[in-house]
Amino acid sequence: MPLNAEIESVKKNFLTEIESLPKDKFLIDKFKNKYLGRKGLVSELLSKINNFKPEDRPDIGQKLNNLKIELSSVFDLKVSSLIQESNNNEIKSFDPTLPGIAPRIGSIHILEQTMNQIKDIFMSVGFHIAYGPEVDDDYHNFSALNIPEHHPARDMQDTFFIDSNTVLRTHTSNVQIHLMEKQSPPLRYIIPGRVYRNESISYKSYCLFHQVEGIYINKIVSFSELKGCLEYFVRQIFGEKRKMRFRPSYFPFTEPSAEVDIWDDDRKKWLEILGCGMVDPNVLENVGYDSKIWHGYAFGMGVERIAMLKYNINDIRLFYNGDIRFLEQFI
Amino acid sequence: MIISIEWLKEFIDIKESNQDLADILSSIGLEAELNGIPQSLEGVITAKVESIKSHPNADRLKICIVNDGIKNFQVVCGAPNVDKGQTIAFAKVGSVLPGNFKIKKAKIRGVDSIGMICSEKELLISDEHDGIFILPNKLDIGQNFIDAYGYKYFSIELDLTPNRPDALSHQGVARDIATKTGRKFNPIQIKSVKPVDNLTLNISIEDQNDCPRYICAIVDNVNVSSSPEWMVERLKAAGQRSVNNIVDISNYVMLEIGQPTHIFDFDKLKRKEIFVRRAVNGEKLTTLDEIEHDLKESQLIITDGKKPIALAGVMGGLDTAVTKNTKKILVESANFNSVTIRKGAKIIQAITDASKRFERGMDPESAEIGFWRVIELLNTCSNGKLVSEKIDQYPKQIKNFEITLRRVELDLILGYRFKKSKIEEIMEGLEINSTWNGKDEWKCIPPLFRPDLEREIDIIEEIARMVGYDKIPSDENIYGTFKYSNPDPEKNINFISETLAGMGFHQVYTNSLQNKFESTLINNKPVKIMNPINQEMGYLRTSLIPGLLKISNYNKKNGKHNFRLFELSKVHEQKTKGLKGIKEKLLLTGIIHGLKDNFNIHNISKKEDIYTLKGYLYSLFTNKLKIKFDLNPSEIIGYDYGQIVLLNGIKSGIMGKLSPHIITKLNLDIQNVFCFELNLNSIMKNLVNKRKFIPINPYPKITRDLNLVMPESQFVDPLIKTILKYGNNLILSVRPENIFRDDSSIGDGNKSVTFSITFQHHSKTLEDKDVNPIIDSIINIVNKIYNAKLRA
Repeated sequence: MPLNAEIESVKKNFLTEIESLPKDKFLIDKFKNKYLGRKGLVSELLSKINNFKPEDRPDIGQKLNNLKIELSSVFDLKVSSLIQESNNNEIKSFDPTLPGIAPRIGSIHILEQTMNQIKDIFMSVGFHIAYGPEVDDDYHNFSALNIPEHHPARDMQDTFFIDSNTVLRTHTSNVQIHLMEKQSPPLRYIIPGRVYRNESISYKSYCLFHQVEGIYINKIVSFSELKGCLEYFVRQIFGEKRKMRFRPSYFPFTEPSAEVDIWDDDRKKWLEILGCGMVDPNVLENVGYDSKIWHGYAFGMGVERIAMLKYNINDIRLFYNGDIRFLEQFI
Repeated sequence: MIISIEWLKEFIDIKESNQDLADILSSIGLEAELNGIPQSLEGVITAKVESIKSHPNADRLKICIVNDGIKNFQVVCGAPNVDKGQTIAFAKVGSVLPGNFKIKKAKIRGVDSIGMICSEKELLISDEHDGIFILPNKLDIGQNFIDAYGYKYFSIELDLTPNRPDALSHQGVARDIATKTGRKFNPIQIKSVKPVDNLTLNISIEDQNDCPRYICAIVDNVNVSSSPEWMVERLKAAGQRSVNNIVDISNYVMLEIGQPTHIFDFDKLKRKEIFVRRAVNGEKLTTLDEIEHDLKESQLIITDGKKPIALAGVMGGLDTAVTKNTKKILVESANFNSVTIRKGAKIIQAITDASKRFERGMDPESAEIGFWRVIELLNTCSNGKLVSEKIDQYPKQIKNFEITLRRVELDLILGYRFKKSKIEEIMEGLEINSTWNGKDEWKCIPPLFRPDLEREIDIIEEIARMVGYDKIPSDENIYGTFKYSNPDPEKNINFISETLAGMGFHQVYTNSLQNKFESTLINNKPVKIMNPINQEMGYLRTSLIPGLLKISNYNKKNGKHNFRLFELSKVHEQKTKGLKGIKEKLLLTGIIHGLKDNFNIHNISKKEDIYTLKGYLYSLFTNKLKIKFDLNPSEIIGYDYGQIVLLNGIKSGIMGKLSPHIITKLNLDIQNVFCFELNLNSIMKNLVNKRKFIPINPYPKITRDLNLVMPESQFVDPLIKTILKYGNNLILSVRPENIFRDDSSIGDGNKSVTFSITFQHHSKTLEDKDVNPIIDSIINIVNKIYNAKLRA
């Protein structure tokens, strides 16, 4: 049979058969496969194209392609009309054991959920929220925070540089400086955002993460208040009975400094969850606050770390690879 | 820094268990974890190798008879250093070594082996695994190994913060423990000795800022050999391998009191003088690790007056190193500038034990203590005799300074008033010399070995950490002012995530770092990273589409065929040069693929397409956010049905079907992907959802259908607008209901669109006579403007 006749015959049969296609997924799929499937009649015709002279092939190809498009659109139309039909059908007998028709439901990323929870907790005790740039100059990311160039404290954070004076921020503390440069004290803010570290990627570290930092400046601010505030936070996030401790540490921008650990009952050990301390007088002076009058506390935490501990997530990369099997666990 | 607990006992009584000691250290800011040898090893005992003979079936193996004082055990051992008469650590059958390594009866190449002779690595003493661990012969055999000998290797690893150079020594750590526990602290007592000869040597220093102090002396008659047992044990417990007595002494003193020293082979110095200076570009030095360095001007070096012999404070030179034939040595104990040393070490990318201490700040006094301690040990451990005076260049003595500590400030910062006596006890323990001036202040003079104590706040921190953070009560009050402004200026962005999640979109977070190809895919100039991890992550992303596409592809591979995804995140673009030229944008990007609904038994789902995409965005913007959402068809590279999206009339992004060639370019294998990408910066201020109630109109509605035939190419929306315009303000809504195409009845290339028009009056019931004239005029006008005809 010449090809044109074959095309006509396939088309004719298709159109006849589709008329009587019932609303039945099996038959619909079977029908689709017969004509439009990978081994269907249309593909079969396409496979014969090599039997023709090269100069005829483009024309024939075009014809077969048109056939495929036409049949597909007729098919789609039929299927959607079948759906409409079924929508109009009244239910004849209800089988309560059959699944319902559930709309698909999406999710807010667990990091965003955790971040929102952190924001809400701190807003409930008087903090406002500030945001700022991810790319910043050396001064706002380091020097103003009492981290001079050539100080070993610079080794505490591996930094991505854009040029010798521009960095991808290593913490959101740069925003503290921008804030204080613009506003006079007292102030009380948390600063959430994305930060970057030049670390190779593994289950426990990624080249970026999310941080929430907090700063409170007033005339009288004490370590005792800092402890109260963070104990409230930890209990809200990890439960009221969670054991925690403040352990002396060092950060260039706070003094005295502390790290907060929570007790992990499964691993039987203390796990570090955030750093904090009293704002170093040098930081206050750098933004033009008189450190004889003003005092403050500051803290910072990694959102990933908190989410990992809270939800028992064992690989930081899961936050970024977009695996729906992960995402849908946090609907 | 690894601390040997036995070594620590040289300076202070330790009464607590190792774990409690580690907890005390953590509680005062020296983060500690038990390290090395386990606290107990059941079944591992001291034993003697009675005899050895070769294994009949293996050249490298030996058959040893091991005696535990009562019984003999036959053990097959592969260690090259095993020998008759050695006292060894013997793991009996049934014992469990670190790493859950269970010792069982075994047959090794046909010979029974009952137990194992342990190496240092198996006992976690060191990484040494080339041979067995040979114990001192004086040990009784048949004893529990840990109790009899292994305890000497109990150690604690400290993760030290960079402000504490003093804690990089056993003495410094002991001082902190003594202050915390109130126990007696016994620092090293230094004895100076007289030289037995009067050799001398000239020291000059180019810049005293780089090198505030340089002490050296010549020691003769040294006998290079192995170190005494106690020294080897302590070094090993602190993680340092023994080399020979001379090298070990230098290391020992550094771990003991923190001062790095260096020992040169005096006879190998070409010129008998010392000149400390910056290197000249082009000079070369081969250091102890046998690496040749091209020196830079910023590096400080020690020279013999001409040639470099050491990279100051970092590493010595190979040419002048001590060898087994060395007899006469030059001992260096110096003080170098922390920044200079840090830069020098950075250039050769080597952080050494010495440079780590200098860059944190050493004090010139300890250079002298370190010097005399080395001289003393050289004498006791290698019979070396001092043959020169201590040659000391210390041009500008660094003096202690005074800090005022205000009682009020201390109480304010801590939020609690501790007893005066407690505060003074802490300062005394830390060797901060304090006097109470009667005006509610202390005058404090910190010791020079604490360069981190410069200001009042530094002293306050010391007091806080030593009283213990747990002793400072928590204040459960909220003080201070609050501001009237909105506490979270970006709170309304949450509406977007919440609405999209409700419509079945999963939010994703993707990497901000991309390769050049991905970050330039849409013709933007990306921000380039100077020191990327690798080229795959060398640029900041300019669009969220490549990341979302990769994720779509990944999910498809993992068996997910129907999904809607979105990301709400920042991107960057290098508009012009420099930091000011970097623009940060907040983008909302989404991808839809596959079926609109999950498969279910009751009906067949529609596929996602350009209309479902438009529908999601319409619901989000028009319904939820009350932001005007319009499309402008446009040729957009990379898209089929590309549309410019207008939000409140401002061009804010694009939507469409991603064309296959873009997907192929990214090496992905996914088709029929519909996506949108919108810049939210322009609408951020309008996200405040201003809602106002409109009273509900109680009058009945009249609905009329109008079937209009028009060319296929005619868009529908203009007709709707026209109908509304000519509706005498009585038309509530116009909705396209159906599109019908049939060549035979309505003509080739035409379509018939059914418009469902709803009328309602604000204050009366409408009748046919109100509506009919309007319908007639609409039919007229659409015919005129669009050539749309009423379907026959």
